[in-house]
Amino acid sequence: MDTLAIALLGFFAAAYFVLAGSDIGTGMLAPYLGRSDRERRLVIASFAPFFLGNEVWLVATAGLLIGCFPDLEGELLSGQFPVVVALLAGWIVRDMGLWMRGRVGGGPGQGGDVRSGPGPDGSGGGRGWRLVCDTAVTGGSWVLALSWGWLLAGLFSGSPDTPASGPVAVLTALAVAGLFAVHGLGFAVLRLTGDPYARARVLVGRAARPWHSFALTAALMAALPLLAGLGLPLTESAGTSVDVLVPALLVVTPLLVVVQAWMWRTFRGRVTRPSYL
Amino acid sequence: MNPETLDLARLQFALTAGGHFLFVALTLGLATVVACLQTAATASGKPLYARMVRFWGQLYVINYAVGIVTGLVMEFQFGLSWSGLTHHAGDVFGSSLALETVIAFFVESTFLGLWIFGWHRFNKWVHLALIWGVTLTAYASAYWILVANGFLNNPVGHREENGRLVLDNTVEVFTNPSALLAFGHVMGGALLTAGFFMAGVSAYHLFKRSAEWEFFGKSLRIGVFLSLPALFVTATFGGLQFVGMQPMKEAVFSAKAAEIAKLQADMVERFGPGDYVPSEALTRTAGILMLLAFALMMYLCIAGAVLAAFRKVVFRFRLWHVVLMAAVPLPYLAMISGWVFREAGRQPWVVYGLLKTEDAVSQVSPGSMRISLIVFTSLFALLAALNFWLIVRHARRGPVETDLGLDEREASNPADALPAARY
Repeated sequence: MDTLAIALLGFFAAAYFVLAGSDIGTGMLAPYLGRSDRERRLVIASFAPFFLGNEVWLVATAGLLIGCFPDLEGELLSGQFPVVVALLAGWIVRDMGLWMRGRVGGGPGQGGDVRSGPGPDGSGGGRGWRLVCDTAVTGGSWVLALSWGWLLAGLFSGSPDTPASGPVAVLTALAVAGLFAVHGLGFAVLRLTGDPYARARVLVGRAARPWHSFALTAALMAALPLLAGLGLPLTESAGTSVDVLVPALLVVTPLLVVVQAWMWRTFRGRVTRPSYL
Repeated sequence: MNPETLDLARLQFALTAGGHFLFVALTLGLATVVACLQTAATASGKPLYARMVRFWGQLYVINYAVGIVTGLVMEFQFGLSWSGLTHHAGDVFGSSLALETVIAFFVESTFLGLWIFGWHRFNKWVHLALIWGVTLTAYASAYWILVANGFLNNPVGHREENGRLVLDNTVEVFTNPSALLAFGHVMGGALLTAGFFMAGVSAYHLFKRSAEWEFFGKSLRIGVFLSLPALFVTATFGGLQFVGMQPMKEAVFSAKAAEIAKLQADMVERFGPGDYVPSEALTRTAGILMLLAFALMMYLCIAGAVLAAFRKVVFRFRLWHVVLMAAVPLPYLAMISGWVFREAGRQPWVVYGLLKTEDAVSQVSPGSMRISLIVFTSLFALLAALNFWLIVRHARRGPVETDLGLDEREASNPADALPAARY
């Protein structure tokens, strides 16, 4: 049972890094990929239908951690206190930028450019509002990715209950954030069209097929949490609740995967127009 | 345990949990209303209902987004600030949180994404099933959270092993009366919040003599007629909770000094020296405020149900419109004071009779805790303000310019940006 619980934890964590990593990475590069208000809205539309379904993998990972390894969860989170606070703050800022971007000014589905006349309450096109939201998305994505790097540096260093410090930690954080960005770039190549696509394609290179870059970074992203998990005392800290939770999780997890696969299939087409966000 | 860290951690938990709770109240209630409206729209094919789904759905989604991000902090806060709780009681308490995230919230979020972004991609019945999936998993979510909270208030189904609590009887934990009664109470409260919200927003438009009189007349009626039964459900489950209430909470609420002294003496004998009386001012004020808000809402609901039966009154009684607008905060007041009553009234315990709050707080320096308090409360305050502003803005705008459910395929033509009254 303990082994199964660890395997489930690894599965959920790896899925988060691969799936959410792609939308976080794309968010980090949004100002490069999308130069105008409308282009940035297209960049966001490339992951808009997925980001909610992506981030729940982390919520579930944290739920598994508190349910199956409660003691470790407490030690890890309280030990990494400043890192987790930064991670959550980045996550909140980024999500609010995403959710609120399209809610002020401009016309729906128009990227704000086509119909920029004043709203019924004379609010104008909301260009400034969207710039603030874009900044929140990009800044939040960077903070989130760097915090992950900082957290992973702590887990790799072998002392998971103290925040990592020193040059190695800084380099790890930057390297992880870089991996997030490249992963997002690979995702953008698969999802975008037009100029934003061309900009992503230039960086990825034309030699390989479009999905090669994404497949490589996906494997690396999945490896990150698994490697980090090797250093955690998981077997020793499994709680008695494992016997109740693991069977339930084994039943539910395939259904979750099916629902997610349905979501990815539904919105598989490349993005050519803005979406709700 | 550093007393300053404890106070800061408690303040952070109170502000973040309280904030999250208020967003969730409207989310849970509005989801139900939107799902019912969409059922009517799908079955009848009437454009009016389809437009109502999009208008109220838009307000629901704005509010939901803030609810999610505040919920993220909640989930991580147990490990961050209360590692003593996860250490001591995590086996029991953590399992319902785990089930909440995997069984309920995971599905809820994925379905919500499909519902928002898949508006014109699915068959209308599939799209309807999605919003019902969102609504039902939202209730499941609330249930699991209240199982966790119910355990803290009334710990059952556990045994002690090596100084830690472990699961003994899962069924007992999942059917804890403290959880089930609170679930009924909160569910009713959420519907009540949504009812008052709908009635208030609709009253604003009718007061302004909006051209959308049919739309808002119907919405006002739905709000008013939903509020009355929701209030009785809330009150019934609330009343039932007084029966098995922690004796100290009841004594403090009723201001029985002799009883308080006796219970304090009993507790000292059982658990050793200490102060076992919760803050009397906080507990009593919160309890009284909740009951006052209830009484006020009861009069409004009963009068409202009578008034809403008359067509002319719905459209023309402007004083009533003003009252309905002013009454929107009442369910929020009742919700938050009820929550303070429940949670402050069980102090000094985090797990009643088993673990004191002061023994649950993480070994974190006051400085770190203060920074986290400042970060999260300023973010939450900003979110609450933005949420309020966006909701008021979209509510005032009316159903004319709703982005939710816009047919993206035709959006390049500005004429089609007007509400597509169809599915």
